[in-house]
Amino acid sequence: MRTTLRGSRVLRAALLAGAGLCVAGTAQAADPMVKACAKDGQFVIGFSQANNAEPYRQHVNDELTAAAKEVPGFTLQIADGAGNVNTQTSQVDNFITQKVDILLISPFEAAPLTPAVKRAMDAGIPVIELDRKTVGDPGKDYTAFIGGDNFKIAEEAGKFTASKLLPDGGEAAVLEGLPSSTPAVERLNGFKEGVKANPKIQIVAEQAADWVPDKAQTAFSAMLQAHPDIKVLYASNDMMAAGALLAAKGAGKDVKIIGTDGLPGPAGGIEAVAKGDWAATFTYPTGAKEAIEMSKKILLDCATSVDANVTVDTTAITPENAKQLAGK
Amino acid sequence: MSDQKISVAANPPAAAPKHRVDPLAIIVRFQSLIGLVLVAIGGIIFSPRRHGEILFLNPDNIANIVRAVSETGIIAIGMTFVIITAGIDLSVGAVLGLSAVVTATMMISGGFGLISTILAVLAMGVIFGVVQGTISTRFRLEPFIVTLAGLQAARGLALIVSGNQYINISYGDGPGLAPPVFAVLGERLFDNTVPVATIVFIIFAALATLVLNTTRFGRYVYAVGGNERAARISGVPVSMVKISVYAITGFASALAGIVHAGQFNFGSANDGMGYELTAIAAVVIGGTSLFGGAGSMVGTVAGTIMLGALANILQLNNITPATQLLATAAIIVLAAVLQSLVRRREGLGR
Repeated sequence: MRTTLRGSRVLRAALLAGAGLCVAGTAQAADPMVKACAKDGQFVIGFSQANNAEPYRQHVNDELTAAAKEVPGFTLQIADGAGNVNTQTSQVDNFITQKVDILLISPFEAAPLTPAVKRAMDAGIPVIELDRKTVGDPGKDYTAFIGGDNFKIAEEAGKFTASKLLPDGGEAAVLEGLPSSTPAVERLNGFKEGVKANPKIQIVAEQAADWVPDKAQTAFSAMLQAHPDIKVLYASNDMMAAGALLAAKGAGKDVKIIGTDGLPGPAGGIEAVAKGDWAATFTYPTGAKEAIEMSKKILLDCATSVDANVTVDTTAITPENAKQLAGK
Repeated sequence: MSDQKISVAANPPAAAPKHRVDPLAIIVRFQSLIGLVLVAIGGIIFSPRRHGEILFLNPDNIANIVRAVSETGIIAIGMTFVIITAGIDLSVGAVLGLSAVVTATMMISGGFGLISTILAVLAMGVIFGVVQGTISTRFRLEPFIVTLAGLQAARGLALIVSGNQYINISYGDGPGLAPPVFAVLGERLFDNTVPVATIVFIIFAALATLVLNTTRFGRYVYAVGGNERAARISGVPVSMVKISVYAITGFASALAGIVHAGQFNFGSANDGMGYELTAIAAVVIGGTSLFGGAGSMVGTVAGTIMLGALANILQLNNITPATQLLATAAIIVLAAVLQSLVRRREGLGR
């Protein structure tokens, strides 16, 4: 699904037209977004990553690196914000100092990174936001957003629970990520919204496990002690789902587990569903390919505008499709 | 940056043996300044260039370095007092988070004004420190343990205050908005050159240097760390001094939390995670001994900036974060080894 902010395009066209009238005769219909763009140019793309310590984010780095390698003129630099808005802000400022040609960023948190993104835009560097947004509107406050929608992905998982896993109702539980972090809040709220489709389902327990498997195992063990009838567990990421599985096995319970992220590889969620360990996982697409494509449009094809809002849809990984996807 | 002319006259503990000035001791006293100069030279040598300009020395880049270290720098200044008394405060990062959350909450949903919010948050930081210091001295508990508990308590309180949500700070006039002047903490003054966060850091550093080097309280701090029994016998109010240094770190953490909220328009219970270790690293690199009794504020400031400059030059060259961690590890060990050599020469054992 791709949506374009038509309004802002019209506005820009109007502005450009206005500018054209002011500079009568000299202005072209639309200038390329980056003046130095060239088919065979050499360009540096700076990627400000929120936190390499999260497996999902390392997966994004890998996909971006692979996609950038395909383009001869692109050099990709990745800076690790290490889960710290202050560190990430200074890294964005470093990229501005270096005058990278495009800034890609996955902000660790929205509001704190907003001023840094504004500084990049003011310096004439296009900013493509991956996975998480800063405050403001794509197409205006930053060039574009590419990513999934945490709330919607979790809502899908909720609806899947309501219709497929627990059609007759029953007890469900949630493992939340790091409390008060944006994706944790969005996924928790999204899942609860989706489950509302079936009033016979009760969410009997919610615990935070900070995205990590060991805390998830501990938390879910305690939940199963307190609520032995839990039938479904929604884990806000694959890592916690893996921890929850250990807890369920330890308690000798057959719980239907849902992960989030759908990471590839032998330890990832797709494999876990293919093996029959989990009921499902919902992919959180990286948008890496799309980001490099967009960078090519801007830097190599001299695009005058790009889609400001690219939502990459989630895929439900269920026993039906997991085996074929795991083979990829 | 830091004024190198300030003489860092650490008052040696009364029992210190008289001896010639050890050249190694001089090196240790100025080790972080020397380190900062070395990193700066390395930065200039290895800096990427664009059209002949050395990026490392680009004014925006310098501003970025000193902005990025402001919060941990403010905390490290408070930490210097504590470590000179041979104590430690592990709660500082968590108190920063709590302070950022309370700052955001008071202004956004509490409807408090800027001044009352700042005063309340600073007072909260001081009280937090006083409580920790009192528990530690009163029950003769290791500050390590007490402040470890303090860390957990502050994170817990921050989650409670924020209701497990992050709090965005929006600016404007009216209910639910913070006064726009607060956002100045994220800006630069003097023709858009000097970050306001850095100005706060430098003013706080200057005040702390004055307190440590020129006041009776400063002498007491060294005396308590140098030899607590001797200090007690010679009439130093040891408990009072100890409680005061934790009050200072509480104040510093709260100040850093306010700066954080203003810089990033945001308060979250997770803010400041791990800052305690960065601050301790800066203090140790600055030549302050964890055994207490010796240390310098200028050293801490230089150590803080050195770590920031190191991170900066590595990123400008696109060197992985792993290298940065390993380099920092090596620097900490080197600083500690130098100190231990000096102590051994002074016949202090350990």
